Amino acid sequence: MKISRRKMIQAAAATAAAVSLPALAKAPSPNPKPLFFTPAEFALVDEMSDMIIPTDQQSAGARAAGVATFIDARLAESFEKDQPERWRAGIKAVEALSREMHGKTFMASTPEQRLALLTRIAAAESDPKGDVEKFFKEIKSGTIRAYYTSKIGIHDDQQYKGNVIQPGDYAGYDAT
Amino acid sequence: MLTAFRNIKEEKMTLIRFRASPEQDVDLSRTYDAVVVGSGAAGGMAAHVLTSQGMQVLLLEAGKKIPIEQELRSMQWPYDHPRRGDAPPGYHAIRINEYNIRKPPYAKGSAFKHVFSYVGGWGGADYVKNILVDEKDHPFTGTKYAWVRARLLGGKTNIWGRLALRLSDYDFKGKTHDGYGEDWPISYADIEPYYDKVDLYLGISGHKENLPHLPDSLFQRPNKLTASEVKLRKSLATMGRTLTPYRAGVTTDGVKNKYRSKCFGRGACDRRPGGCDIHAAFDSPTGLIYPAMDTGNLTLRTNSIAHEVLVDPNTGKARGVSFVDSVNHKTYEAKAKVVIVAASTLESARLLLLSKSRQHPNGIGNSSGHVGHNFCEHVMGPGVTGLVKDMVGAPPTLDDGKAGGFYVPRFRNLQDKQPGFIRGYGFEGSSGFSLFPRSAWDTPGFGGQFKKSVREHAGAFISMGGFGEVLARYENYMDLDPEVKDSWGIPVLRFHYEFSDNEKKMCEDMATAGKEMFEAAGVEVVGVDKNIRTEGWSIHELGTARMGNDPKTSVLNQFQQSHDVKNLFVVDGSSHVSASCQNPTWTIMALAWRSCEHLADEFKRGNL
Repeated sequence: MKISRRKMIQAAAATAAAVSLPALAKAPSPNPKPLFFTPAEFALVDEMSDMIIPTDQQSAGARAAGVATFIDARLAESFEKDQPERWRAGIKAVEALSREMHGKTFMASTPEQRLALLTRIAAAESDPKGDVEKFFKEIKSGTIRAYYTSKIGIHDDQQYKGNVIQPGDYAGYDAT
Repeated sequence: MLTAFRNIKEEKMTLIRFRASPEQDVDLSRTYDAVVVGSGAAGGMAAHVLTSQGMQVLLLEAGKKIPIEQELRSMQWPYDHPRRGDAPPGYHAIRINEYNIRKPPYAKGSAFKHVFSYVGGWGGADYVKNILVDEKDHPFTGTKYAWVRARLLGGKTNIWGRLALRLSDYDFKGKTHDGYGEDWPISYADIEPYYDKVDLYLGISGHKENLPHLPDSLFQRPNKLTASEVKLRKSLATMGRTLTPYRAGVTTDGVKNKYRSKCFGRGACDRRPGGCDIHAAFDSPTGLIYPAMDTGNLTLRTNSIAHEVLVDPNTGKARGVSFVDSVNHKTYEAKAKVVIVAASTLESARLLLLSKSRQHPNGIGNSSGHVGHNFCEHVMGPGVTGLVKDMVGAPPTLDDGKAGGFYVPRFRNLQDKQPGFIRGYGFEGSSGFSLFPRSAWDTPGFGGQFKKSVREHAGAFISMGGFGEVLARYENYMDLDPEVKDSWGIPVLRFHYEFSDNEKKMCEDMATAGKEMFEAAGVEVVGVDKNIRTEGWSIHELGTARMGNDPKTSVLNQFQQSHDVKNLFVVDGSSHVSASCQNPTWTIMALAWRSCEHLADEFKRGNL
């Protein structure tokens, strides 16, 4: 899925114009037009979700699983207006903290600086106060929900064995 | 990919679905032998038994008939659903804090387009959005209550939890045992043959345990257990307690019914509020109603909201039912020689109370004043979660290919006498790998370590929660609200109900005993929930029109026949004298079978 989509984008880019190829290769996620987030907000959410659930030896991470795209689509159609507002305020608070800590935006920071910021806002996870700490909880739960309901999360990472027909004996142990 | 393809092929080979017989035209000019109000477990059973005895039956269902398989989509992967199971924007499920802080009607003034009970908030709201009632159309008032209602053909059986248990004489003769409340007018020996009939006709899976307080059914093959459950079962056995595979109202070996498949253990059955689109789990339409239609003796009318049992002014007997068509809002009359009310515990009480006449000024069948009273149910909330350490890092296994996990039957106040409370409780639980690794919510941190930890712990948790008997008390009751009406202009129920000290003490014990049992099995306790859920949470409402031998203190006799009106029967959970702590659906159906057999005999003899 991941590979075929990337291939598709590469093929499309190659046929469209050679100049756009580097830009697309750098693009954080195959979502050129977010529905709710601004492109900058989307890039931040995409990056942060992938730091929360990164790629490892077992499976690809949140970016490949399209976590930011799913969150963006849900927020775009949200009936409760306070939820998208909370996300927007949270992202603003992250950017403010980033400038305070490193003098630049989250995405302009180095990977080490981003990690330092995330580590700081995650430290208060059990008792978050203020927009920026609350935002960590929000994006973490959004990432968990989207990742573990994705193909990558269910099949590659969790290697879920169920939702298959068992024509003979059921799996498991007898009550003896 | 290959596996998925093979599965699809197998499904096509085995899961042949039959359409129900063409519906007969409803003829409201004619007088049916019987009219049944409600098409859930009780009404479906009444339709089955009476039509098989040759009676001409009209079945009225307040809700609609929908293509249920298209709603449930039991096999759908989360990522194949555009919102991963969520309902479209504007749908809202009432949260526990709303139940506890606000007063009903919960949807009053809500900005949401549709408001559902808390069940809509479980994973998969989109799959039940056309099954649960919209609280905006169906308000109620009074004390707080998490009332879960499903208005459609088959009612709540379309999404029930499937735990199918028998009651015993510890329940039927509870007063004899501990002095509280009333004994039922029947004993286990009276109902046992009918439990057997229900088992054989509908199919039930389970494992024999020979417990006097939880009699065995005629089981088809049971669910398997996980390694963690085997460990707990062995430990509990040394304490004289039992962990048994979930006794499920699911046919695992098949039944003679062309509308139902047997359970293929396809799994992920717990990922949303119930429902089985291959109908291996019992539901009233495929289990009872469609076969009843095949007899040619059943006429079905959906979208028919009964609001009054009509009375013959000369004899005082029931002569039919008045109902509102939910679509065109017109009122109709259905005429019948016998009226059978099976609208669910609370809706049946509401219908009786609404049916006021010169002969029955307090509502039909209510000369005792007990209709709406003696309400009881199950209290729940307290539970325990544990970590089975030797399962950490274990490779994934298929642990949820079944209707449910396990059940720990009641162990309190059988031979012993607890100081703080009477009666008992059982635990429902589950363990192992599931479609969604729920422990992710409580795993701290982020990054590679977080991800690895979620993976390693995904199959290592075991949890269980208690279901306790709420004592039937006259003071716990429902009446009609003098002002508030539903969307069809029918007065709504007003609740006067709260848990007593007995329930609170019992709940304290659930948390303590659950923790002790896990610890004894070497399971590390990682969470103990002591909070009692809002009244109604168990969806096991009972009482309100109880059976009894004394017409002054009960509404129905042992055949669920009104003491006051001999051609009026109430065959659902409202007839139960006490709640037991065992789930009620199988008892509702066994009792309805017994009563309707009696009804048909009396009908043939001209005694009704």
